[in-house]
Amino acid sequence: MLHLSATLTRGSFQFQAECGLSDPITGIIGASGSGKTTLLHILAGLVRPDSGRITLDDAVLFDSDLGIMVPPHQRRLGLVFQDCRLFPHLSVAGNLSYGERLLPPGERRFTSQAIIDLLELEAVLHHRPAQLSGGQAQRVAVGRALLASPRMLLLDEPLASLDWRLKNQIMPFLKRIRDVTRIPMLYVSHDSTEILDLTDRVVVFEDGKVIGAGPVLDIIGDPRVLRQLRLQGLVNILPLTTLSHDSAGGLTHLRLRPTAADSRTPAIISGPLLDTHTSGDIQAMLRPEDIALAGSDIKGISIQNQVPGRVVRLIHAPDRDLCVVDIGIPLVVEISPNAARTLGLTEGNPVWCLFKSSALRYLEQLSDVSHTPLKGTELR
Amino acid sequence: MTWLSSEEWVVLGLSARVAVCCAAAVAIPGIACGWILARTRFPGKSLVDAALHAPLVMPPVVTGYLLLMLLGREGILGGVLYRHFGISVAFTWKAAVVASAVMAFPLMVRAVRVAIEMTDPKLDEAARCLGATPLRTFLTVTLPLARPGIMAGLILAFARSLGEFGATIVFAGNIQGETRTLPLAVYSLMQSTGGDAAVLRLVMISILLSFGALLFSELLCRRYARSGRGLD
Repeated sequence: MLHLSATLTRGSFQFQAECGLSDPITGIIGASGSGKTTLLHILAGLVRPDSGRITLDDAVLFDSDLGIMVPPHQRRLGLVFQDCRLFPHLSVAGNLSYGERLLPPGERRFTSQAIIDLLELEAVLHHRPAQLSGGQAQRVAVGRALLASPRMLLLDEPLASLDWRLKNQIMPFLKRIRDVTRIPMLYVSHDSTEILDLTDRVVVFEDGKVIGAGPVLDIIGDPRVLRQLRLQGLVNILPLTTLSHDSAGGLTHLRLRPTAADSRTPAIISGPLLDTHTSGDIQAMLRPEDIALAGSDIKGISIQNQVPGRVVRLIHAPDRDLCVVDIGIPLVVEISPNAARTLGLTEGNPVWCLFKSSALRYLEQLSDVSHTPLKGTELR
Repeated sequence: MTWLSSEEWVVLGLSARVAVCCAAAVAIPGIACGWILARTRFPGKSLVDAALHAPLVMPPVVTGYLLLMLLGREGILGGVLYRHFGISVAFTWKAAVVASAVMAFPLMVRAVRVAIEMTDPKLDEAARCLGATPLRTFLTVTLPLARPGIMAGLILAFARSLGEFGATIVFAGNIQGETRTLPLAVYSLMQSTGGDAAVLRLVMISILLSFGALLFSELLCRRYARSGRGLD
């Protein structure tokens, strides 16, 4: 359990945050310059707040009243920087073992081999950082932080400098870390898609202040939170299992994996055709504005997906309304206030969610990585 | 070796000893001052900076004279050393080391400072977050990354010592076999008649040594730059 209350003034930038974090992964969402990185640097001890108190479990990391400021090297918080910051004079192996070697063997939580396997770094162990690709460097940076056996992993936009193809290659590793190491993580990003792909627990920053914290669907009712989430790309993340590939029809059929125990038959969804060799679980992104609602299913329409559900929540925003529909997972749908009126939407109503197969964007290509689930992998 | 007289060999040996000791003497204080100037802020920093660079711009003879005032047997510090411990520095080979070290110090500090300023302080932060104390961070990150600059500084100090004349002749004298280094030997030979050939030989050696030192430092830097990029 991490508790933070801190204020900091730097020129015209005012940082003021108060939050308690206890989830396995918390996403920190906000625009550039909204205080996300400052939060991580304050937690890591690189920046000293003007006032406040930070505690992690029973340990006080900072207390301005008591004059406590635990230096960064005693905090054991693994900060992974956006720019990797690998040591250029050391090999990959040297970088990985840098923090590990500073720990007494009894306090090491992982063997280096486990981390090398987890992040698939065997082939580049003797390379210099300058020889690594962006994705490799980021994996080394994450591995180096993990091997220092941190009490918490602080990830500062680890994917920001990578293109989407590389992002898709790193994301499975982050999920592996989440599921295998069970080290609590704070994941900072200006891209909601990345965060919602990992967790639905978020802290939303705006202008140096926390404007909302908790599960996305709980805080989405706040207009300011909603505005920020939309600015950073609010999306639905659909957990799916591939069923079959229809090359002639250009579609892949997938089954929705409901989050909670659900008595209904899981919905079958059609998405863009995947590589016909792919199988197993996959996540896809679906934008709220790409979904239409209907009072009943519609015959004779090109839209491939018509998923029945029930309205669980209506959120009125200034320009558009948001409707949360339970289809086995909560699905956020954006509609105009007028549509909400004419459809007569109320909470508890049955509705059909309509979306084209092409509106689905797969979040990770099923690479070799996701083909080989680690033994002992546990989902939280 | 017959092309140098035994006297000249003594001069060379002494010069080498003084230069090596000079480089060794400036190493740690030079790295410390370079780091302080590169990485810290404190009131009066520019004053300290200027004071450290003073020997570069002052006439060497003046530096030598000030050293004599400070460390001579009648000097402020030298007097104490002599009376209580029987240590006398002035007019010994150690004085030649002190004189050239003082003259070489600003060069060393400058080289180290630039080298440390070139290393990325963000890497220090990364090391701190991985559990390294500030000292360990310095030893394992800053120092190795600044190594080429530090090596260059040491070679500069070595070369500066080989060429030091003014402060040495004032503070250490020109004593055959004790403080007569290369430049002093050249000067003495020029004063005597019939030393032209010897002068020429020593001048040639001086030039060779100076260029050799520069070449060596250049080579070190290049090799290091290559290995830093991972091509070695």
